[in-house]
Amino acid sequence: MGRRRGSFNRGARPAKNKPCMFCKENIDYVDYKDYNMLRRFTSDRGKIRARRVTALCPQHQREAATAIKRAREMALLPYVVGR
Amino acid sequence: MDVYEVMFIIIPELDEEQVENTISRFRTVIERTSGEPRDVNHWGRRKLAYEIDHRTDGYYVIMEFTAGERTLVELKRILRVSDDVLRHMVMKLPPTYAHKPEPVEAAG
Repeated sequence: MGRRRGSFNRGARPAKNKPCMFCKENIDYVDYKDYNMLRRFTSDRGKIRARRVTALCPQHQREAATAIKRAREMALLPYVVGR
Repeated sequence: MDVYEVMFIIIPELDEEQVENTISRFRTVIERTSGEPRDVNHWGRRKLAYEIDHRTDGYYVIMEFTAGERTLVELKRILRVSDDVLRHMVMKLPPTYAHKPEPVEAAG
């Protein structure tokens, strides 16, 4: 019996209650100008990383995604890296 | 009063004086429409993440201001018709947002 959790979580990683980065730092506005910080949430191809990778809460994942898109519009972040 | 922020990219061909002229043109627009220009932040000339109009560089300027009734419409119109502006973005700043230092010079 000493295995992870009940049957509902089989195959998946055990849930860890880790607060998201922005919540932890009490940031209520994800700034598109801070593109070096946003770069952490993009892959090396320039794609926006999934929530399970970024470990952001739903609200902040959404805000980070919009911020990345804004930064792309202003040529601060690339739409695509290497073609 | 809501504080707004506009970021725009000026073409890199202009010299310092022309850049100043361009910026003061927008400042006049804000003043003329009873807005109040706040601090201007020069990020300066930096590499673009991708080419725009076959240019790889751009001069970034960020300006904070408060808006009068017609300021936003007017400013956006002027920005759109300015040939020396590559891109622009007007954003309303959240009231709680404190001024943060600009990121260090490193573009890729």
